[in-house]
Amino acid sequence: MTRDDIKDLILEIIEDIDDEADFDDLDPDKPLRDQLDLDSMDFLDIVMELRKRHQLQIPEEDYPHLATLNSCTAYLEPLLKEA
Amino acid sequence: MHAHYVVIGGGLSGLAAAIRLARYNDNVLLLEKHSRVGGLNSYYYRNNRLFETGLHAITNYADKAAKQAPLNKLLRQLKISRDEIGFHQQILSEINFPDRSLIFSNDFNILLEEISEKFSPESDNFRRLVHDLDRTDPFESHPYRSARAILEDYLDDPDLIDMLLCPILYYGSSWENDIDFKQFVIMFRSLYQEGLFRPAGTIKNLLDLLVDKLNHFGGTIKLGTGVRNIIATGEKIIGVTLENGEKILCKHLISTIGLDETRSLLGTRKEVPDDRRLSFVESIFQIDKRIRDRLPQDRTCIFYSKTRPFTFEQPSTIVGYDSGVISLPFNFRDLNPDDDFIEIRTTQLANYRKWLSISRDTGQYDAMKCDHTGESCRQIEPIIGSFADGITYSDCFTPLTVERFTGKHAGAIYGSPHKISDGIIGYDNLVIAGTDQGFLGIIGSMLSGVAMVNKHILSKL
Repeated sequence: MTRDDIKDLILEIIEDIDDEADFDDLDPDKPLRDQLDLDSMDFLDIVMELRKRHQLQIPEEDYPHLATLNSCTAYLEPLLKEA
Repeated sequence: MHAHYVVIGGGLSGLAAAIRLARYNDNVLLLEKHSRVGGLNSYYYRNNRLFETGLHAITNYADKAAKQAPLNKLLRQLKISRDEIGFHQQILSEINFPDRSLIFSNDFNILLEEISEKFSPESDNFRRLVHDLDRTDPFESHPYRSARAILEDYLDDPDLIDMLLCPILYYGSSWENDIDFKQFVIMFRSLYQEGLFRPAGTIKNLLDLLVDKLNHFGGTIKLGTGVRNIIATGEKIIGVTLENGEKILCKHLISTIGLDETRSLLGTRKEVPDDRRLSFVESIFQIDKRIRDRLPQDRTCIFYSKTRPFTFEQPSTIVGYDSGVISLPFNFRDLNPDDDFIEIRTTQLANYRKWLSISRDTGQYDAMKCDHTGESCRQIEPIIGSFADGITYSDCFTPLTVERFTGKHAGAIYGSPHKISDGIIGYDNLVIAGTDQGFLGIIGSMLSGVAMVNKHILSKL
């Protein structure tokens, strides 16, 4: 997957969690949590969806890497290279 | 037989836990002893009509925009849309004490204004209390603290303290005359700051929706399937033995049946009498709708005390009538009743032992139930208006009814006074969820199922 594919994947997963999520003014370097009003339960769902769709195992201590759209992409890029 | 995940108890917390597990895992099995799901919030049929058990109103109402509200979080976690539930908000509810009353609704400002007007010297104190409650994290682990003692630090008028406590104790306390402060904070938010609603239709629609969700994610429900015991070696759960003798092995077990009830299945329950458990009698009156004009038009629930101070303790008589809750389920917003009947429901404190002792004589037990519904009606008529002449059917659920259909020891609907906030009772792969984990009400118990599965299972996958 390219970086753009990964961004699309993350946004698709978030939209699936919250169909009201508004990505228009999303700053990829600012925390998703604040911008989209997500909480730790929603982040767990992002992790669970990645596991379900791409068999990714993301350990709890790595969750902070998922904070912004750019940090998410950077973290997932090597893991989804072959996907 | 083998299942990766077994959930014991098909009440709302068990259904929520199972849906959450099944959303991301195969091989989830929910075991329910009764022939119907719902636990304390279920239904039955009489005279070809459906009657709900338990449900008066659901706390934690939140608008769609409040994304972080417990209700909306829960729906996202279970992948349920708000349209699937349908919301009817309360009109007004009342706390009715001798010569004093307070009104609240789903707009918290109404309660603030009521207190400024009727308890004006307390107005600033109450705002200070609310300010501090807003900054309290009720999920932080903390030993029991008396909510009453903390309220006394803020408020001077004992009537106001009693009036604020009355609905909170009736909707969720397993302690006499008090409640743990953490639980007080949760209830204050869910009852006063958020508010009350009913789902569209009946509790059956909500339960059917949850069952459909679970099936959709591939989970399995076995009804009429009681667990005889939990099989453990050391600190590891191996599985469960069903009442029919069948063994089901599992990797993880989630028990939503209560702390003592779970310990009974583990064979580790201390056999001490549950005298301190609080139980209730709930009565249902089905009434000709022509009587409606005589009844309050805008009150959804009325929490009353006929005495000052207010007491919330096990009565020495079979039922205590000094205080209680009156539910008028026809007074929610935007209902479309095409029905010839309306319902009134009451909840009053009961003495489990007294009900148990007369239950050996079926005739006497039935007569006592009948006496109680009559007395409950007479007790509340001075508050809401006369309706006895319009009753077409009445019934009541005693602590024994609750115990029989839900397995809750002593019929104690709010469970054990000992809450296990992390859900762990000494086993590696056993999690306690539901009322005895410390969350309260329908939304609370479902969130408990979700939160415990998230914390102990999903985040460890």
